Amino acid sequence: MDFTTFVKPSNGGGGDADDGGQKLQFWKHVEYIENHGKQEDDYEYCMTEFLRMSGIYWGTTALDIMGQLERLERKSIIEFVKRCQCPTTGGFAPCVGHDPHLLYTLSAIQILCTYDALEEIDREAVVRFVVGLQQPDGSFFGDKWGEVDTRFSFCAVASLTLLGRMEQTIDVEKAVKFVLSCCNQTDGGFGSKPGAESHAGLIYCCVGFFSLTQRLHLLDVDKLGWWLCERQLPSGGLNGRPEKLPDVCYSWWVLASLTIMGRLHWISSEKLQQFILSCQDTETGGFSDRTGNMPDIFHTLFGIGGLSLLGHSGLKAINPTLCMPQYIIDRLGIKPQRLPRP
Amino acid sequence: MHGRVKVRTTEEERERKKKEQALKVRSYRAAMGRIQKKREAGELDNEMLSLTVQILLRNPDVSTLWNIRRECVLEKLSKLKEEEATYETPTDEKLEEEKQTGEEKDKASEKKTLPEDKAHSYFTCELDLTEQCLMVNPKSYNAWHHRSWILEKNPRADWQREVHLCNKYLKFDERNFHTWDYRRYVTEKAMVPAAQELDFCTDKIKVNFSNYSSWHHRSLLLPGLYPNQQRDRPMSEEKLQKELEMVLTAAFTDPNDSSAWFYQRWLLGSGAQLDRAPRIAAFRLESHGAVLALDKPYPDIKQLRTELVGGEKTVLLNSWLPLDKLGTSWKCQQNFDYQRNSSYSLWLSDQIVNLSPMSGSENGAHYFAPPHGTTTCSKDLLAELQTQLQSCLDLLEFEPDSKWTLLTSALLMRAIDFSANHETSLTNLAKLEKVDSLRQGYYKDLAARWTLESELARWPQSAGFPKTFDIADKVLLESLPYGQYLVIADEITLPSKLREKLGDSLPKTFADLKRLS
Repeated sequence: MDFTTFVKPSNGGGGDADDGGQKLQFWKHVEYIENHGKQEDDYEYCMTEFLRMSGIYWGTTALDIMGQLERLERKSIIEFVKRCQCPTTGGFAPCVGHDPHLLYTLSAIQILCTYDALEEIDREAVVRFVVGLQQPDGSFFGDKWGEVDTRFSFCAVASLTLLGRMEQTIDVEKAVKFVLSCCNQTDGGFGSKPGAESHAGLIYCCVGFFSLTQRLHLLDVDKLGWWLCERQLPSGGLNGRPEKLPDVCYSWWVLASLTIMGRLHWISSEKLQQFILSCQDTETGGFSDRTGNMPDIFHTLFGIGGLSLLGHSGLKAINPTLCMPQYIIDRLGIKPQRLPRP
Repeated sequence: MHGRVKVRTTEEERERKKKEQALKVRSYRAAMGRIQKKREAGELDNEMLSLTVQILLRNPDVSTLWNIRRECVLEKLSKLKEEEATYETPTDEKLEEEKQTGEEKDKASEKKTLPEDKAHSYFTCELDLTEQCLMVNPKSYNAWHHRSWILEKNPRADWQREVHLCNKYLKFDERNFHTWDYRRYVTEKAMVPAAQELDFCTDKIKVNFSNYSSWHHRSLLLPGLYPNQQRDRPMSEEKLQKELEMVLTAAFTDPNDSSAWFYQRWLLGSGAQLDRAPRIAAFRLESHGAVLALDKPYPDIKQLRTELVGGEKTVLLNSWLPLDKLGTSWKCQQNFDYQRNSSYSLWLSDQIVNLSPMSGSENGAHYFAPPHGTTTCSKDLLAELQTQLQSCLDLLEFEPDSKWTLLTSALLMRAIDFSANHETSLTNLAKLEKVDSLRQGYYKDLAARWTLESELARWPQSAGFPKTFDIADKVLLESLPYGQYLVIADEITLPSKLREKLGDSLPKTFADLKRLS
């Protein structure tokens, strides 16, 4: 854990608590997110334009969880989102000049929900886009080019749930059947397609999918929960698969899945919190995947989100299924399913 | 953005890098601008292909560029089709004529295969590009998808070559799940026999035991190759025994590596399918109502046909009300006109069970099947389990805190005789709470499950069955799994701490329900 101080000499900012752990560098993170993308010619920023919509979702959500959403310009963000809706298909592109995809469609819907601005777009067109991507076996293409993945099943039901249009649109039974066919006998986990190895990120998508479709009873909670809690390593961080390195984003995926399944108490929250805090960049703000690495906006959301789920003070509650502030989910009247603690 | 270590750089280096990046940004923007203009103009030509290559080689995640390349390929293919259509289609007569002279025949076939070869060269070009991109980023979803899209379009796709490609990639990274997924896809296309894949797996595992991906691949192949007739184990007992031997050798090679231990726990499990139908766990009825507990949650009980047969009639039970949030226990307030002298049975979909009359003067009947079903175990398999347990116990002599050995020996003990070894397996869990404290909560819940499994298995032999259930002496219990099984009791006696903790979520009893109705 002290690797942090080894790689980056302490800046003497009073971040270190007496137990050797760190304190949340709240304002540094706010600044980090606020400044993200202000320099349009920044190399990293430019090279990641193919996922800009998700980048904005990560940033707005993290700021909202920190109660600082007003630091971003609501109007220009909504204008950006609107420009990305494809007039032909109804789906959203990551940014102008790119093609629409389910991944960015969900991000766009999430951003609009955060700003309570769903009425700004053609919602029926989005529904048509999502419905049109469902296949006869219940699975979903990500776009018209035919890639199938359980991530897309999650994106589809999450988008429709947020739009309040799950009823009478897609074939839910078939969608459920497909996701269930991706469950592995060995560990109760899920992969991206039938037969694919279990992976924490995809498990999150599938557990989230069952939470949204109110079918958590289909999971083998004891088997899957055990495999998930075994992701916690001595550093307190969680990995995505056996014998892999810990990572802040996997920490979120495992943590959120365990929370949905009512098994958060199967890992050490205290140690996980220490790990997440050790991944802060105390100089620039932001979180990295692992202690001592470069921070980015993606891991910053999952760092903040993880801390919120663990009950860290000063942060708004986050919904584990949709990875959005709970008050927005309440405002929309959505109730993703969660299992009680045994 | 994963695994990029933050390094301190000098001012000079930073400046140099900044300039370099500014150049890259400019060339990226220029290329993207050009690509978008050309796309709008419908220019899906060779220039477009070379423009996209520049960016994709550096950043294969820009999915739109792959889409554009596919549009280019489709455009080229449709042009080929047009060309083909302009060729004269040979009639039967002409074919006859051609047969006569060898020279003419060659000419004709040259004409016919030309477009096909052209198409093949487009496909090859795309495949080469994905290969180059996968060298840059072997985890690029886009590059992998593009590859399979191209192969699906190519009637002359060489699937065998793809299998070899996987072999090569798995040598670089034996855990890349993209490669394994792709391997499953192409081995099916190439019709590689499952037995051959199993050999591949065995070789991979022999090279490195710590390969969860390979164990996983194996777990998919075995149930098909060595089916288990009773469906109470993942594969045939004979094969299971061999697998257990192999996996224990692997696990003992490095007892701290988890891969093999996960596989071992799966081998020891029931092999039950996730989508299997729920079974009747407990049922009790009297003249005015009935309660039903299922062994797994099933919120949509109306989908299952429940029928009570006895007293010379069949009653359809269709007014079920849930007793818990999960849908594991249900009540039904119908009149049955229960007759003491008749025998009754209960249907739940295709399962039928016989009910036993309540003892003494009590009116009504019940059924109960404890959660830990006994699975049959052949002599040979039992002997293997005992050998394995002994090996674990031997290892524990030297390494008493070995987490995986502690857990596995408890699982083996339960597989051999779960009631006789109950106390010892709980001792192992208590020890695990200390040596693996991160997962303390898990071991506590597991101990509760095992305790309830043991108590529920003994319950039918107790004097008060099924009216009273008493576990007041289990003071360590912090949760009450299998609570739905107790719905047939009138009185449940729990340790006071647990009762307090459960509060409102205390399981409902048959007596409670009678009072309420």
